[in-house]
Amino acid sequence: MKVSDYLTLEHVVLLTGTTKADVLDELVSTADDFSKNITIEELRQAIWEREKMMSTGIGQGLGIPHVRLPGLPDAAMAVGVSQAGIADYESLDNLPVHIIVLIAAPQGKHEIYIRLLAKVANVLKQDDIRKAIAEAGDPAEVYRILTEGKV
Amino acid sequence: MSPEIISSVVQTHLPVLMVIGLAIFFGTIGAKIFQWLKIPQVVGYIAIGVIVGRTGLGAIDDATIKSLLPFNFFALGIIGFMIGGELHRDVFRKYGRQFFTILFAEGIGAFVAVSILVGVIAMLLGQSPGVSVALGLVFGAISSATAPAATVSVLWEYKTRGVLTTAVFAIVALDDALALILFSVAASIAGKFVNPDSTGIIETLGHAGWELVGAVVLGVMAGFILNFVLRIVRDPEKSLAFIIGVMLLVIGSARVFGFDLILAAMTLGVVLSNLAPRRSRETFHVVERFAQPIYVLFFVIAGARLHIQGMHAWMWVLVIPYIIGRSAGKIIGANIGARLAGAAPVLRKYLGLCLFSQAGVAVGLSIIAGEKFGGDIGIAIITIIAATTFVAEIIGPPCVKLAVKAAGEIGLNVTEEDLVQTYTAGEMMNRTCPTFTENARLTDIFRTIAETDAMSYPVTDADGKLIGIITLEELKRSFSAEGLTDWLVAYDVMTPVPDTVTEQTGLAEAITRMREQELEYLPVVAGEEDAKLAGMLELRAVNRSISQEILRRQRLADG
Repeated sequence: MKVSDYLTLEHVVLLTGTTKADVLDELVSTADDFSKNITIEELRQAIWEREKMMSTGIGQGLGIPHVRLPGLPDAAMAVGVSQAGIADYESLDNLPVHIIVLIAAPQGKHEIYIRLLAKVANVLKQDDIRKAIAEAGDPAEVYRILTEGKV
Repeated sequence: MSPEIISSVVQTHLPVLMVIGLAIFFGTIGAKIFQWLKIPQVVGYIAIGVIVGRTGLGAIDDATIKSLLPFNFFALGIIGFMIGGELHRDVFRKYGRQFFTILFAEGIGAFVAVSILVGVIAMLLGQSPGVSVALGLVFGAISSATAPAATVSVLWEYKTRGVLTTAVFAIVALDDALALILFSVAASIAGKFVNPDSTGIIETLGHAGWELVGAVVLGVMAGFILNFVLRIVRDPEKSLAFIIGVMLLVIGSARVFGFDLILAAMTLGVVLSNLAPRRSRETFHVVERFAQPIYVLFFVIAGARLHIQGMHAWMWVLVIPYIIGRSAGKIIGANIGARLAGAAPVLRKYLGLCLFSQAGVAVGLSIIAGEKFGGDIGIAIITIIAATTFVAEIIGPPCVKLAVKAAGEIGLNVTEEDLVQTYTAGEMMNRTCPTFTENARLTDIFRTIAETDAMSYPVTDADGKLIGIITLEELKRSFSAEGLTDWLVAYDVMTPVPDTVTEQTGLAEAITRMREQELEYLPVVAGEEDAKLAGMLELRAVNRSISQEILRRQRLADG
């Protein structure tokens, strides 16, 4: 499984917001081409519904909001980078979040969904990759590191 | 509409098929009403017959009854055949001596009690001693017969199984033979009292022998032929035509040669079920399903035949000693017989109660006696037996129900399908199944799954409403997801709810839905509009419970 199968350069953004609500909105607004059947508002609501159960701030400056939606044709991703860090993300380790990876998958493709989550988590577990992405300052560079899985 | 108008409308010669249709349709409705009143449904068929028949509206008149007579023979043939199917070799081997002892005791018991009571009362009513003795003997002999149809219909309706059930099957089928022999002896002796020139005892005994031996020979021959045919035609649906064909041939031949019809059909059933015990089981099932409307018609006509208005007062007086003598004779006789044979206590206590039913054979014998004696006595015999038959058919079935209930044999002869019909999803679901809330962490989910043996787990929201299912099948794919277990929750790994049932949904429907959707489980929710989780129905657990229940009932029935 390759990250590039599900992520395009247009869905990588440098975040300007400073709160969890702001940056999630920024990220969701890039996802308007995920599916004709899903509005941005529906995606936003689904993400917040999931966040209410347990924050997706998984520690080490990472946020991986993820949802499953019945109307999607295939899994899709969007990535946002905040150099300042989002302090109110409610991470497991209470540290600010710098890299946010949004993953949306269709209802029926459970296996792809879980494997994509695992793949992203495994790539971003590496300290040097996380550091390089957080400091990149250029969406194209972020895209390269993430899809190649190396600095 | 007044009853007069109704009867004038219905008396204008309805076509026979119309009468059959009406009888079966309304007979079935009558049965449903009686069933609802917890009275065996056969009483309902007969009651409808009385209402539409000669006593009531007159919609089924003499001519119609006569034209429907072939259906009666058909019904009796099927009943005989089905009883034969219940009598396996091992039943005879295990109980043969007991059953014959009880059979003689209950038959002779009724004969003696009725003969004495009717004879004495007849004399008190001013009949001559000769006529009184003759009436006593004839009624006594007729009273020994027990009708299988209504009795067996109750056993089938309540799905009974056990030693009492087996004994009743054997005895109701065989005591016609005893009645025929008793009758032939009694009728010739009685004939001598009334008319010294009548036929002798040897001749009438010869007739009885011909009826019985001929019936057995006919049944055995037909049984071998049918068994041969069924070995070639294996498809049960196709074989039905052969079975019905052979059965009608047996019934027809019995009528032509004057053999005992029920005994011939029963012998056919016995031969078939003992030649091929496994293969013939399906045969009997097919016939049983086919036979239902014919039974209904049979009992409706039995009720229609009664003509209460045509009875003189003194005939009514004789009905009472006959009924009392017959019931007491059967109960005491069966009790003594069971004691002599050392039979199980349930037979001693309850068997007599199952033997009140009286029908075809008794009516047939009364007609023979009526023709033999002629005049007022002849009419009295026919009318009194018709009236007592009616009473016996009304009190007989509830007594059978009472007896099998007291003996604890109701509901022990069930198949898995029968049992499934009796439960709801609520009764079979697991109320304490492990459940996850939507925010339960994957780590905790794995731990719970390791500690329990369910295959699927419901996921609920904070209000306890069902929102998804976690199945082991789906979850297996998440096991590989290293590093996710800390931050994934039940909501992330659940699948949508495929279907739900409520606690009131019948188990049969729930199982059908699981099979159609190839599900191993089905969540049970509080109501159609209320998604609150009540429990989980798991196919594996349901099958296990049903099998255990069947085994438990079989052990209970077979001791």
